[in-house]
Amino acid sequence: MPLTLTYTGQTSVPVEIEGFTPSWAKDKSLAEIEQFEIFHGNQKLPLAEMFRVEGNASDLRFDLEGDLSGVHWIGAHMSEGAIHIHGSGGRHIGSEMRGGEIHVDGDAGGWLGAEMHAGFIHVQGSAGHLVGAAYRGSAKGMTGGMILVDGDAGNEVGLTMRRGMIAIGGRAGDVLGFNMIAGTVLVFGECGIRPGAGMRRGTLGLLGPNPPALLPSFRYACTSHLQVLPMMCNQLREQGFGIESSVANAECDIYSGDLVALGKGEILIAHQSAS
Amino acid sequence: MTKDLIKISQGTLYDPANGVDGEVRDLWIQGGRIIAAPSDPATKPARTIEAEGLVVMPGGIDMHCHIAGPKVNVARKMRPEEKRKAEVISRTDVTHSGTLGSVPSTFATGYKYAGMGYTTAFDAAIPPLGARHAHEEFDDTPCLDKGFYVLMGNNHYVMQSIQQNEPKKLKAFIAWLLTAAKGFAPKLVNPGGVEVWKHRQAGNVSGLDTEVDHFGVTPRQIVSQVAQSAQELGLPHPVHIHCNNLGMPGNWETTLETMRALEGRRGHLTHIQFHSYGGGEGDENTFNSKVVPLADYVNSHPNVTIDVGQVLFGETTSMTGDGPLGYFLSNIYGGKWFSSDTEMEAGCGITPIKYKNKSLVHALQWAIGLEWYLLVDDPWRVVMSTDHPNGGSFLAYPQIIRFLMDRTYRQDVLKTCHPLVGRRSTLADLHREYTLNEIAIITRAGPARILGLTNKGHLGPGADADITIYTPHENKEIMFELPRLVIKSGEVIVEQGEVRDSRIGKTLHVAPAYDVDAEADIQEWFEKYYSIRWRNYPVDPSYMHQPELIGSPNHGN
Repeated sequence: MPLTLTYTGQTSVPVEIEGFTPSWAKDKSLAEIEQFEIFHGNQKLPLAEMFRVEGNASDLRFDLEGDLSGVHWIGAHMSEGAIHIHGSGGRHIGSEMRGGEIHVDGDAGGWLGAEMHAGFIHVQGSAGHLVGAAYRGSAKGMTGGMILVDGDAGNEVGLTMRRGMIAIGGRAGDVLGFNMIAGTVLVFGECGIRPGAGMRRGTLGLLGPNPPALLPSFRYACTSHLQVLPMMCNQLREQGFGIESSVANAECDIYSGDLVALGKGEILIAHQSAS
Repeated sequence: MTKDLIKISQGTLYDPANGVDGEVRDLWIQGGRIIAAPSDPATKPARTIEAEGLVVMPGGIDMHCHIAGPKVNVARKMRPEEKRKAEVISRTDVTHSGTLGSVPSTFATGYKYAGMGYTTAFDAAIPPLGARHAHEEFDDTPCLDKGFYVLMGNNHYVMQSIQQNEPKKLKAFIAWLLTAAKGFAPKLVNPGGVEVWKHRQAGNVSGLDTEVDHFGVTPRQIVSQVAQSAQELGLPHPVHIHCNNLGMPGNWETTLETMRALEGRRGHLTHIQFHSYGGGEGDENTFNSKVVPLADYVNSHPNVTIDVGQVLFGETTSMTGDGPLGYFLSNIYGGKWFSSDTEMEAGCGITPIKYKNKSLVHALQWAIGLEWYLLVDDPWRVVMSTDHPNGGSFLAYPQIIRFLMDRTYRQDVLKTCHPLVGRRSTLADLHREYTLNEIAIITRAGPARILGLTNKGHLGPGADADITIYTPHENKEIMFELPRLVIKSGEVIVEQGEVRDSRIGKTLHVAPAYDVDAEADIQEWFEKYYSIRWRNYPVDPSYMHQPELIGSPNHGN
């Protein structure tokens, strides 16, 4: 039986539950869990003032109910277990997580999976800016794991990411993979301007319609049916991410860049099927 | 009972300036100063602090750190990733909140220094144009008396005066500049080298006798003539020198030549650890320690004093007025880099760095620092510093004390370092251990004497009542990182690590007399080149918190 937290807060002030992870809660009584210290703005409160808590956390599973779009840092720093958000969540979901999985039925705010090291996040709605990104000043963003967003995502997805996989089912915003060190970002919808600016290594797949003009510091390399693309798409399908077979098997133009940086990255631009 | 009379009863005093080495005595305080014991034995103090079994020393003095001003603030803004993960300094009834990391916020800087028993600190490199900023940050840096050194080793007027062989103009300019900035001492950073860096891509001077572009003067001339002017002005701390070629293999010869360039005049060579390297051509395989010949020179030349700039292993932020050095380090570490050109005055470079004990170069730097403490015979002429934050945080001072007082611990750490360190330095063969009295010298009495602070660094009558009381402990790191009590200007400000009083402290500065007729020439030059107006340049006294003039303003006439 999972630990069920039903959000009862009625406030426009941000609520932060950083550090409330399955590992922390697994051996705690309900009374102890209810006393977990959260922030309401700059005020510290016990968890029970904003959530109704039921069940137990011994199986490392949390179910979060209610509109949690104003609740931030859900699953941040988690290293094991599973969190299921039955609705939308706020910013910094899965920030710096090292293991386990997070499922969001609705939308997620900005900084989804920022600086995550391992684990799995699946958002069925859309995500905000800076998915898998490095926080300001940090040398590295996401260094491992997988983030799937069925809907759209904002700007700077994969900022300075070092390793791992991000897939966006809908539209991605501007400067996708900005300053990317390595890793993979696949976008199945449209993409904003200047993808790959400053990328050193890694792969950006622009697999949707109307790809943007690339920066002049990217150089055309070849056109190819890449064997790795269907393999990656299969991997995503196994995780419940819907992909049309025409996309998985599409021919791609491949560009190298960003030549203002190391220049060992690649951008794949899929040819669209005639249908 | 006499109001505001405090007695520290039966503490074990270490007051090397007054020849007191571990003697049990009472100490009397009134009006923020130490006083002689009342002649009437019936005199009752308003408060008695029982210090039986505790160690009593003057408050610590950090004579070389970077805690305020434009470059420090840039470094704070440049390292949000560090601050995010650092310990949080929470607000209390008497303290502000703050942030740590390698470059703490202003309030946190004051609290942490005081929490460690330090009551005075000097920022080592303020461009005169940034003086106002430094004073404003001082006003937010509590628990410490503070001052700063004024960058002038690459100042255009300084070099122009030397080029034109105008020593009177140079002397007047130095006095005017110190007065305008409300600074404490002249600071030379890579004299001439920063100016060459501004002229040419990756430019720098290669030694004491390289000519500076456009001005045709040499670093040797800048060192010797500024030292001469400072001596004539009677400055309490005549000249504070960051030598050329910091960090370069083979730079020990430049350092030796810099000492010789002083020609017997008083001069302080700072963070000398970074300037004591053998080897050449940037080749790590030839990198080695040259402390022995340099320490021999220091031991035989009483005009020279040094602080060490000890490296500690871990992550920190390099910040320097040495622009070309900042560029050099940013190329090595490949991280973010800030570089600045301060008009006619100075430069600046900032970049994150990390010292690793498994790196031969870093481990040698660590060993070289410790060699300096152990090879200079006279502790009055060597001062503890990490060049905070360049070699490490000031919070590492208790660990350095343990290295100096516990040779077993020192050798144990040496064994974890790169194996070649033992062969490239003499540290493994040094068995000296510091005494508590010697620690009191290199952290208090010595820097006070070198800085010309007659009211600090000792516990005699008339001294500022800046006092630290420690609980003795076999592990000296534990003893020195958490004093029992810290007293500032006669008031208890820290009790067992808890800040009780967050007074801001005094600003220490100099105002040497000079020939005011020389101002006309300075003004003509100033108005030709500067981006601000002449009348707006000097720092208004309202920027200073509790200013205290050090030295006589009549000196030097």
